[in-house]
Amino acid sequence: MNTLKSIMKWTGAAAVCLLFFSSTAWSQSKLTDPEIASVAVTANQIDVNYGKIAVKKSKSPEIRKFAETMIKDHTDIIKQAVALATKLHVTPKTNATTKSLLEGEKKTTKLLNSKKGKAFDKAYIDNEVAYHKAVINAVQNVLIPDSQNQELKDLLTKVMPLLNSHLQMAENTQAEIQGK
Amino acid sequence: MKNKINKWINGIAVAGIITLAAASCTSPGGQSNNQAAQPGKDTVYIAGMKFKPAELWINQWDTVVWINNDIVAHDVTEFPDKTWSSDSIQPGQSWEKDFGDSVDYFCSIHPTMHGKIMIRK
Repeated sequence: MNTLKSIMKWTGAAAVCLLFFSSTAWSQSKLTDPEIASVAVTANQIDVNYGKIAVKKSKSPEIRKFAETMIKDHTDIIKQAVALATKLHVTPKTNATTKSLLEGEKKTTKLLNSKKGKAFDKAYIDNEVAYHKAVINAVQNVLIPDSQNQELKDLLTKVMPLLNSHLQMAENTQAEIQGK
Repeated sequence: MKNKINKWINGIAVAGIITLAAASCTSPGGQSNNQAAQPGKDTVYIAGMKFKPAELWINQWDTVVWINNDIVAHDVTEFPDKTWSSDSIQPGQSWEKDFGDSVDYFCSIHPTMHGKIMIRK
């Protein structure tokens, strides 16, 4: 149940959530380590992709700086996750969660690409706040408890302070651009 | 008898190795090479998106070494005016600076991270 709740928040798309309810894949709530590796890499890559859109489209120094940090930090985490998966001989396995994340990314990318100027900045940073809240919830309540390998669990645990810091930075940036 | 001589020789060899190992850990001035033990050098560890300790008391002109044990790069930048800053400190790397006055600092990459260097008077 926790898995389902977390994924619902994660995607932020009602239509995708309805698909989850009808999917038999979610009757099996526990993720395996290869599935967790896939989810972790995908979730990080999605935020890198959002950051790249922001760097390309935004003229706001605050938004651009935040986006550049997201690109750098999440790329570093991907490298570490891939290195660990390689060391543990774990091949990331695409699964229903990965697919739903990618569906959510498609919708959000479409939304972001439809906005310009301040409306884009607001849409981007609002999404970053929501996305980080959802990812924090999923890592804490699903990925860490479900992971079997201790090194994978440790890496996910080490990522938590970074995600919390990103959320605080996103909220601060959100407040800064609202005041302008 | 031959065995006893061999044991005696081995004993001398082991003692020699231990002595050499101990000597190699000590600089010519007699100070330990362990950074934490050097007078005038203090360490701030970066881990879990925090400077640890967040507030460090040092003697004037002591050197402070920041060691990044975190999973992403950080920097050390004067707060609030950014009058000085380290380059990006990658995970596993360190950076150091001497201080004559107390200062506040932060990580300009992750502005949620703050620290203070306080000079003992």
